[in-house]
Amino acid sequence: MFPWVNGFKWDAGHVIFLGAFYTVVMIVLATVVRALVRSRHHVRVEKVEAFRWKQDFHDLPARDRRCRHELNGEVDSRLCENGFDCRSCAKHPEFVQAAAARADLPKGELFGFPMPLDRLYHRGHTWVRKEKDGTLSVGLDELGARLIGKPERLDLPELGQHLNANATAWSAARNGATIRVLAPIEGTVLATGGPDQGWYLKLRPDGPQPDTRHLLRDGEAVRWMSRELDRLQLLATHGACPALADGGALVEDLGAALPKNEWAAVCGEMLLEP
Amino acid sequence: MDRSYIARGLERCTTRRFLMWLLPWTLLLAFGLYAAGLCLFKGLNQTNMDNRFAFGLWIFLDLTVIALGAGAFFTGFLVYILRMHELKAVINSAVVIGLVCYSGAVTVLMVDVGQPLRAWFTFWHPNVHSMLTEVTFCITCYLTVLAIEYLPLLLKNRRLRQVPSFLVFEFELHRVMYVLAGVGTFLSFFHQGSLGGLYGVLRGRPFAFREALGVWPSTFFLFVLSAAAVGPSFVLLTTWLVEKITGHQLVERTVMQKLGRLSGVLLIVYVLLKTIDTLVWMNRTVPGEGFSPQQFYGFEPFGVWILFAEIVVFGLLPAVVLLDARRRASQAWLLTAAGFACFGVALNRFVMTIQTLALPTLPFDRFLSYWPSWQEVGTFLAVVAYGVLVYSLSYRYLILFPQERDLKAR
Amino acid sequence: MAANKSARYGMVIDLDRCTGCGACMVACAIENNVPPANAKATERTGITWMRVHRLGNGRPFPDSRAVFFPILCQQCGHHTPCVAVCPQNAVEVDAATGIVDQMPQRCLGCRYCMAACPYHARYFNWWDPAWPAGMEKTLNPDVAPRMRGVVEKCNLCHGRLHRAESKAAAEGRRDIAANDYVPACVEACPAKAITFGDLADDQTEVAQLARSEGAFRLLEKLGTESKVYYRSERPWVHQAVKSGIGKEPQRG
Repeated sequence: MFPWVNGFKWDAGHVIFLGAFYTVVMIVLATVVRALVRSRHHVRVEKVEAFRWKQDFHDLPARDRRCRHELNGEVDSRLCENGFDCRSCAKHPEFVQAAAARADLPKGELFGFPMPLDRLYHRGHTWVRKEKDGTLSVGLDELGARLIGKPERLDLPELGQHLNANATAWSAARNGATIRVLAPIEGTVLATGGPDQGWYLKLRPDGPQPDTRHLLRDGEAVRWMSRELDRLQLLATHGACPALADGGALVEDLGAALPKNEWAAVCGEMLLEP
Repeated sequence: MDRSYIARGLERCTTRRFLMWLLPWTLLLAFGLYAAGLCLFKGLNQTNMDNRFAFGLWIFLDLTVIALGAGAFFTGFLVYILRMHELKAVINSAVVIGLVCYSGAVTVLMVDVGQPLRAWFTFWHPNVHSMLTEVTFCITCYLTVLAIEYLPLLLKNRRLRQVPSFLVFEFELHRVMYVLAGVGTFLSFFHQGSLGGLYGVLRGRPFAFREALGVWPSTFFLFVLSAAAVGPSFVLLTTWLVEKITGHQLVERTVMQKLGRLSGVLLIVYVLLKTIDTLVWMNRTVPGEGFSPQQFYGFEPFGVWILFAEIVVFGLLPAVVLLDARRRASQAWLLTAAGFACFGVALNRFVMTIQTLALPTLPFDRFLSYWPSWQEVGTFLAVVAYGVLVYSLSYRYLILFPQERDLKAR
Repeated sequence: MAANKSARYGMVIDLDRCTGCGACMVACAIENNVPPANAKATERTGITWMRVHRLGNGRPFPDSRAVFFPILCQQCGHHTPCVAVCPQNAVEVDAATGIVDQMPQRCLGCRYCMAACPYHARYFNWWDPAWPAGMEKTLNPDVAPRMRGVVEKCNLCHGRLHRAESKAAAEGRRDIAANDYVPACVEACPAKAITFGDLADDQTEVAQLARSEGAFRLLEKLGTESKVYYRSERPWVHQAVKSGIGKEPQRG
C-alpha cells in the first residue's frame, strides 16, 4: 500500500491502481473537509438564518413559490427563484416599470376579511408599518392570526437582537407543534408585543430609508391575499375543489377547526415552512 | 409521540403501529445475528461450504445484492451528472437502498472469510493484478461515499435540521453532491465490473473464463451493464412495495415508467452483448481449451435450459416489455418485467458462482451439489432484516420521496 | 542440484506403478502437521495435501481397469491461477525453486484461490486444528501448523528443503545434495512411483522422464505449465484423461 511496505513495486500496475485509489480518497476527503470548513465559517459569521430560509424556500412545493407578478396578473406563470427577496431580484424592476401604468382602486377588505392597507405585507403573512418616529411596527396579518389562533406559548426575540429579513422573528407553540414566523424586514428589536397588542415587534430599521420593495401593498396585496385564501382552501381540503356549498368567511380560529396534525401541516406550509 | 421528528405534511402511522412493524424484523435480525455469531465463533464449519464449494450462498447473494443496489450509483449519475431532474423523486430512496445493500454485503463478507480481523491485509499488501483486490478497495471507498451521501438525508430530519451546524453542513454537502455522484459512478463502474472479472479470469474454470478486452475479461463489462440495467428496476420495485405497504402514493406514475424505460434500454443492450459473448465463448474460447460447451451443460439440473432462462426468459422478454410504452403504462406489466429483470441478474450471478464451482474440472472429478445450512440462510436473513429496519426508519423520519407531499395534496 | 541457481522442482508420477495404497497421503499429513480430521469432517471438508483419486475405464468386468492419480499441488509455473487471484499476495512462486509458496499468516481465508485452482489442490481449515492428547508428540518441529480459517496446500515439503539448505551451509557447500531434499510422499511410496527433482536441470532423471514418451500433464491446454507430470504406457489412461471432465452426465 505504501512504498516502504514489503512487496511494493514501482511498476505500472501498482502506480495506476494505487494512484487511482489515493486520488479517489483525496477527492472524497477534500470534498467533505471543504464542506465542513465552509459550514463552520457560516456558523461563525452567523449566516445560519439566511441558510435556513434558503433551504426552506428550496424545499417548498411549487404552489407556494408563485412570483408576485404572476399573482398580479402581470405574467402567466412564474416561480420565484430568489426567496421572495424582490430587492435583489434582477427581473423585479423590469416588471415594476411595465406595470407602472395600471390604475387601481384598492379595497380594504376581501369578502369581509379585513385587509388594512396602511401597511406593507410580507409573503410570510406578517406586515410592516412605518411609524412617525421612524421605527417599524411588525405584526401578523389577519390570515396568520386566524391560522395560529391563541398560542399556548410565544417565543419572542430579545430586546436589542438584530433580525435579518426572512429570519425567524418569533415562534408560537400550540397543539404540540411549533410554528415559526418570518421577519419581514431587517432591524433591531426595540420592543415586543403580542396578539393582544395588535403588533408583535417594534424595530429600529438598519438605515434611515428602509428598502421595502419586496413587500406587497395596496391592490397587489389584496390580490395576493385572495390567492392565499384559495391556497389555504386547497391545503385544508387536500386538493378538493370548491363546491357550491363552500363560501363564507374564514373561521376565526383554524387551529380549533382542523385536526392537530393537519393544522400543523397547513399552518407550516401557509407560513412558508416546508 | 414522535411527531416532532416526522417532516411536516407527511402522513405516518402511529408510533405504536410502527413499533409493531419493526418488531418481527428485529427478532429476525436477532436470530440472524446469532447464526452469524455461530459462524464467527465456531468457524466456517457451521456452513455447508466445502473445499469444492469454496463460495456458496453468501457470495452469490452478495453479488446479487450489489447488482441490485446499483440503482444508487446509476440514479445518482442520471440525476447529478446527466441532470435528469425527474428522477430526483427516487434518488433519496435509491441512496438508502444502496447503503443498505452495500453495508449488508460487506458485513456478510466479513463473516464469510476465515480470518475477518485480517481484512486490512488486502489494503496493506494489495495484489494489484487480482480482481478481488480491486473489489475490496472500490467497495470500501464506495460504501464511504454512500454513507456521505446518506448524511444530508439524515441531517434534513425535522429535529436535526434545527441544529445550526447540521443545517449549514447539509447545505454545503448538497452543493458538492455532484462530485460524490461522479466519484460513486467511477467506483461503481469498477467494482461492478471487477465482480464480473472475478469469474472471467479463472483460467482453471473454463465454464467461467472469458477472453479479455484489455486487461478485463468480457464478464467485467457484462456485469457493469447488467447492474446498471437492473438498478432502476429494483428502485422501481421497492418504490412500489413501499407504496403498497404504507398506502401512500410516493412518486408520479411517469417516474416509474421512466425507470422502466431506462432498465429496458440497458437490458436489451446487455442481452445483445451477452448473446455475442456466449457465442464467442461456445465457439472459440471453450474449444481452445480442449473442451466442448455441451460438457458444461450435461449435468442435471444445470442443463441448457438455464442458459435459455437467463438470457431469454429473464433477459430478452422483460427488456422487450419495458421498451414498449403501452406495456409500461400498465402497472402489472411494468412490475412483472422489472421483477423478471432482477431475477435474471440474480440467476446470472448464481450461474457464475454455483454452477462454476459445481462443474468438475478433472476426469476423475464428480459433479457435486451444495445446499446452504441454516446458519448461512440465517446470516443472510439478518441482512434482509437490517435492510428493512434501516429503510423503515429512514422512510418514517426522513424525506425519501420528495413528491409524496405534493401527491397527497392532489 | 543447485539451490541458488534457478531451479524448477517438480515430479513425475508413474501411474503404472501407483497401487493407490495411500502411503503418500499419510506421510504427507504427518510431515506437514496436518491436524486429524474433526469428527464432523467429510471427504469434502478434510485436508489432504496429497490425495489419491481413482479413475476407471468405464468397462464392465472382466475388462474393467483402474488407474490411481495422486493429486497434489501441481506447482503451476505460468499464469499460476492461485497467485494471480490472491488479494493480498499470500501466495507466490518462489523464483529460486519454482515452488508455489503459501503464507498462512497472511491468508485472509477468502478462498478465491480455491475457486481458481482447477486441480482442487487447495484445502481450507474449516475447524480449529486439534490434536488428541499425546498426539502433539508427533508434530514435526520444522513445519508450522496453520490456524482456523486459512487455506493450505502442498509446498513440496519446503521444510525439508530448508533442512537440506541448512545442512549444506553447515558443511560449507553452496549446493544441496540431491538426496538431502526428498519430499515425504516421494520417500514413502513403496512402489517408488514418484520421481522428484529439478526439472530445469536436463541431467536429472525427473527431467528426462518428463520429456519421455507417455508423459503428460493434467489440463495442459489451460497453459498452467504445471511441474507435476504423470506417466503411463497404457493407451486407455491417456484417452481417459484427454476426454476432459467427468465423462458421463451424472446426477449432481
